[in-house]
Amino acid sequence: MSHTLLQRPAWYVIGPLMGLIVIAAFALLNERVGVIGGFSDVVERLTGRRSVLGWKAWFVFGIVGGALVFRLLAGGATVRHGHHFSWLTRELSGGSGGLVAGGVLLVAGVLIGFGSKTASGCTSGNGLGGCSTGSPGSLVATGTFMAVAIAVSFLIRAVT
Amino acid sequence: MNRARLASVLLGIGFGFLLSWAHFVDPDQIRRMLLLQEPYMWEFFAAAVVVGFVGIRLMRRARVRSLLTGEPVRWSVAKPERRHVVGAAIFGVGWAVSDVCPGPVAAQIGQGIVWSLPLIAGVAIGVALHFRREEGSAPAREPESRGPAPLKAGTPLPASSAD
Repeated sequence: MSHTLLQRPAWYVIGPLMGLIVIAAFALLNERVGVIGGFSDVVERLTGRRSVLGWKAWFVFGIVGGALVFRLLAGGATVRHGHHFSWLTRELSGGSGGLVAGGVLLVAGVLIGFGSKTASGCTSGNGLGGCSTGSPGSLVATGTFMAVAIAVSFLIRAVT
Repeated sequence: MNRARLASVLLGIGFGFLLSWAHFVDPDQIRRMLLLQEPYMWEFFAAAVVVGFVGIRLMRRARVRSLLTGEPVRWSVAKPERRHVVGAAIFGVGWAVSDVCPGPVAAQIGQGIVWSLPLIAGVAIGVALHFRREEGSAPAREPESRGPAPLKAGTPLPASSAD
């Protein structure tokens, strides 16, 4: 079981399964999936902007739970680079490097939160959900974040 | 826990499990995709959107009603606005630097990956900054996302943010 789970499935298996989640969200709740909206619900609740957590907050709690279930079934995490996380923590390893990497990740998180809220969706909301509905705004947002992320990734590789 | 919350949690469990199984919680895999070194995630994304795109249209055509709200399956679409480009560009920079986006960061927390903690703190700060900025420039663009969220009329579903 665990061996099977730690091998990623073919794209033509996992892609349609994820498409089924998009369909199920409409079939059950008549809603477009979205993750940043769940984070937003929690922030709004904590800052007194809303009195009840929206359904997306519960969806995000489920994501945390689903990943925990996966780890328990698979017997390991799907990030296994020792104590490293990404190119960032490898570049900034040693001494106070870890602290700097944490700071850069914090700033990256701010950009992710601010940017995806401004665009009304992240890779899930605009990407999976919004593109499935064919929303022109989501298609533009998805094309933009993918193009920018590709360009910035090449830039990072060029300077590191 | 009411049925809508339970359904939301179950959907999330499926989502988080799939993100984990497909290794989308691994920043190195996201980086290989963004450096166009492997097609896996592009193929995944295209397959997911095609299935979702066709599936929800078939439900709409068959006049399927949503199980928990009782409403016919429907959705609204947004015209492209400046915020879609500007917001997505800012998000894209954060995504490329961290190689993580909001779904995977939640899954990383569930898998116990501690490097996701500064990221998730940053995401919360970014969302709060968005609200500060929006509330500073009246009138607000998304009034429905402000103030206590009412329950949707006639449904057990607590309304969420539009994103």
